[in-house]
Amino acid sequence: MNKDDRVNLEHSSVLLIDDNQQALDMLGSVVQGFGVREQIKLTSATAAVKLLRERSVDLIIIDCADPEMDSYAFTRWLRRETPAPMKYTPVIMVTGHASQSKVREGRDCGVSFVVVKPITPNVLLKRVVWLAMDGREFIECPTYVGPDRRVRNFGPPMGEKGRRAGDLSAHIGIAKEANMEQADIDALLKPQKVQL
Amino acid sequence: MTKPVTTTISAGSAVGEGEGATAVKVVSSLSKKMAEPGGLTVADIERRSKERLLSHKADAMRSVEAAVAELEQRVGVGADHPDEAFYLTASKMLDVAGFFDTGPLYDAGYSLCELLDVMQTSGQWNGDSVRVHVRALRMILNAGCETTPQSASLLSGLKALLDHARA
Repeated sequence: MNKDDRVNLEHSSVLLIDDNQQALDMLGSVVQGFGVREQIKLTSATAAVKLLRERSVDLIIIDCADPEMDSYAFTRWLRRETPAPMKYTPVIMVTGHASQSKVREGRDCGVSFVVVKPITPNVLLKRVVWLAMDGREFIECPTYVGPDRRVRNFGPPMGEKGRRAGDLSAHIGIAKEANMEQADIDALLKPQKVQL
Repeated sequence: MTKPVTTTISAGSAVGEGEGATAVKVVSSLSKKMAEPGGLTVADIERRSKERLLSHKADAMRSVEAAVAELEQRVGVGADHPDEAFYLTASKMLDVAGFFDTGPLYDAGYSLCELLDVMQTSGQWNGDSVRVHVRALRMILNAGCETTPQSASLLSGLKALLDHARA
């Protein structure tokens, strides 16, 4: 991102959830600086659940350790219990220290991005911009609902058969150039006269 | 939001989501709205956000000070037995300190959280390690959270304690 690049968050609604009022206010100030006109600040994930039953938002930023419903449980609820397109809402989880028991939970709950403190406005902005350009597919299956956890697609593991229709053989890997036109392929295969 | 394109993942033995998973191509409302012309330059956004954030710094540092005082009080009462309140106070402090450049203070606070988590998980509680961490937090705070040879030395000592707890 260059300093002169423009980022337009004027029309986006952002839901901020933090069980620490002081941290919530600071997060709100950062997001306000991004040019967001509509931000909703809540101090509990259960209040956010009530809100999302009434209306949608464009982005959710959450840092909540409330035992009743923490960031992980909220994201699981959003991904599994709400209808499309709400379930696809990008979620950025902000965290200070993540206990060992929560690391795997963080990976599996379906968040779009985890941002670890200390955070700066610049880091948070980069993540928001990245999410706006996020080309990952949304995966739904019995054990996981959320954005594809493979940020980079290197193709299926060696020796494994890919499960997606577009997966190439592991020995070929992901395409690096655009597909050739069929006419070009035909031309390569066409017998041609050789000048001696 | 445009109608998403859904594809079904074919069966296979690869690890991951498993047979019957669906992959949906989604363009979020965030993407569409951010693609509209207008907005602010990155330079303006950074300046505005930093200014707004700085207005909270004095209050935030008072909260950090109060959290360290609370940890000291708990250590004074006794740190020889597992107590979840240590972790809650330390992580609350990190939540606030994590918005500013508090350098070694944040690192020491993170080390304390990690230590408490490791000790609680393993069941091997060491009160002395907790006391040393809290004392280090106070020293760093009193020194204005500056990165100095002394703070580097303190962090190095805390890392050794953490490594020992992990072993």
